[in-house]
Amino acid sequence: MLSGVVLFGAFYWQTKAFETRRIAAFVASEAAAVAEGSPNEIIWTVRTQFAQENYNKYHNIIFSGLFAADGSLIAGTLDHAPAGLPADGRARRVGLTERGHYGPHPAIAVARRLPNGDLLVLGRGVGVLTTLEGIVAGALLVGAIPAIGSALAAGIWLSRQAQRRIKAINQSIERIMQGDVHERLPVQGTADDFDQLANSVNRMLAEIERLLTEVQGVSDNIAHDLRTPLARVRTLLERGRDKARTAADLAAIHDRAIAGLDQAQAIITALLRIGEIESGQRRAAFCAVDLNEIATAAADLYAPIAEEKEIAFVLRTEAASPVYGDRDLLIEAVANLLDNAIKFAPPGGVVRLVVSDAAGGPVLRVSDSGPGIPAGERVAVMQRFYRIDKSRHVQGNGLGLSIVLAIVKLHDFDVALSDSCPGNAQPGCTFEVRCYAPARCAAPPAPGRTGGRLKQWWLRPTRHRNGNAGVTPEVRRWLQASVVGTEMN
Amino acid sequence: MNSAGSADVHSSGPQASEHPPYGTLARILLIEDDQEIADEVANDLIDRAYDVTRAATGTRGAEEARRGVYDLLIVDLLLPECDGLSIIQALRRDGIRTPVLVVSALGAVNDRVKGLKMGGDDYVTKPFALPELAARVEALLRRPLETRATVLRVGPLELDLIERVARRGDALIALSKSEFKLLEYFMRRPDRVVTRDMLLEDVWHYRFTPQTNLVDVHIGRLRRKVDSNGAAALLLSIRGVGFILRDPC
Repeated sequence: MLSGVVLFGAFYWQTKAFETRRIAAFVASEAAAVAEGSPNEIIWTVRTQFAQENYNKYHNIIFSGLFAADGSLIAGTLDHAPAGLPADGRARRVGLTERGHYGPHPAIAVARRLPNGDLLVLGRGVGVLTTLEGIVAGALLVGAIPAIGSALAAGIWLSRQAQRRIKAINQSIERIMQGDVHERLPVQGTADDFDQLANSVNRMLAEIERLLTEVQGVSDNIAHDLRTPLARVRTLLERGRDKARTAADLAAIHDRAIAGLDQAQAIITALLRIGEIESGQRRAAFCAVDLNEIATAAADLYAPIAEEKEIAFVLRTEAASPVYGDRDLLIEAVANLLDNAIKFAPPGGVVRLVVSDAAGGPVLRVSDSGPGIPAGERVAVMQRFYRIDKSRHVQGNGLGLSIVLAIVKLHDFDVALSDSCPGNAQPGCTFEVRCYAPARCAAPPAPGRTGGRLKQWWLRPTRHRNGNAGVTPEVRRWLQASVVGTEMN
Repeated sequence: MNSAGSADVHSSGPQASEHPPYGTLARILLIEDDQEIADEVANDLIDRAYDVTRAATGTRGAEEARRGVYDLLIVDLLLPECDGLSIIQALRRDGIRTPVLVVSALGAVNDRVKGLKMGGDDYVTKPFALPELAARVEALLRRPLETRATVLRVGPLELDLIERVARRGDALIALSKSEFKLLEYFMRRPDRVVTRDMLLEDVWHYRFTPQTNLVDVHIGRLRRKVDSNGAAALLLSIRGVGFILRDPC
């Protein structure tokens, strides 16, 4: 409504200004033209031309007067020369009084001093502007008010509609909050703003529902994993109470029970650890770190373990660019991958830890020559808390890969899984962590630590007298392969 | 003066020791609100010949600690009335430098707690094994040998820090870099129990529990080199606790 009035006001103001300028220009040029003539011509023009009714109507000149130097009227309709109108030929707004009429009338007038000393005054009433006001007011009444009224009505209708939609959405949200995770926000199919918003929220709800289902499965798995060692401990203690004859028997049973409880505790510790990593707090301490150094530190700890199991361990550190992350967490991730690889590589097998540069940034690969992971199981392996083969008896809590995934996710890195030696009976397994170069570096890495350095060492099985006798032929071939990229997917 | 106690350490030079000489009871203040845990910890420490005082609330603990008669504080982070970190900060502000062993729930280990370790103090996360706690108490009460000597000796074992070589008697022992680091850690703490977690944290700077018996493998390799050829065992395992380097004589 306000905007309607403003619109009409602006329209009126613009028109009035234009009309004023037009009249002023006309009066000024008319006066100039008249002043060109001889004194007699001027007198004649003022008496005849401007006094005629039709001319007045046509030219809309209402006021004219030719005054002698002493102020007496020579010709025209004006009673006297208006005060406050300098004789400079420029149009001004003044009040003019006609002879025999009450005045003054508002007008735009011009005064010129003629060569013989006479004063010529021509003016035009601005009644036309008043008429304009009337026209605008009429238009406002006829045009604007119905327009404003209908706009108001439409606005009320639309807001009622919006309120109805919001009410429906609120009801849906209420049901979701009461635990109905299958509920979705109503979509009308009109593709309006509400529908777009509802669609986004519905996608989010679907993701939340998926995660909830996943968590449900996870907690089932965890409950199962925890129940197994606890049930074993319980049986042990029960049998120990009845069967143990000597203090040594009892001590042995105690030790086994404590080992079982330690296993349960390790699972809980790992779960809490994953939760801690996933909370994202560690991101605050991210800085530029050298993957070579991380790989070397992890290898330092795990190379003897591989040797102990008669597994050849190969380390290659060739990454030139640093990555942005948390050094301790990255070492933990590499340690878990090595742990996993050494667990599954058979005696006489090989584990490789390779850090190299790729197009997107450094890549870290941990490969083993173990039985590998069937293609069908790979997607599942990448899920939280999945255990590759629950029946396989290996040391550990089975949550190492989940920790790796949590750390990789925290860093926004990618992890991929492939066969180390596709087509082999023992295809092995390669975990590839693709890192990204730091977007911002808190501290650049020490210059000595980076830069295409190549370091490699071999830890051959030591218990075999015939050198490589413990290494199977396919592993030997694999060890001899010189280019890292071609033998792995 | 000799904080290393009865261990046969022939190292010369000054040793950092502000703790009571061997033989007197070390006084420990345990600030812990969980009665059951406090009972267990206190009884275990008393069995190990420590003088233990208990406080169940933060305010009570802070008051007690201010008396300044304790050799060590064991502080739970989550306490009624005021939390453990504020207590420690207030004590440090007032110039009380008693070493602190912080006990915290896992996941609550933040950078401030980690900062404690920089100051020579330590922390363990719940749930912990009692021997682990005892080993750390001992480690805090008897700081490692900050000796200027360039050769460390424990019994027949000798570690030359300059030449980077180890000898047992006259026999040279070839050690890898990490084995050397490991042996040095033990030689600086002769006759003291060292847990697996302490080794992971201090030798390899790991603050997580690996899935395999990593430490045992490393110790096993070191032991085969140090205690080879049927010589008397110096590097011993202590069941369920950790390891100890001890002069057999």
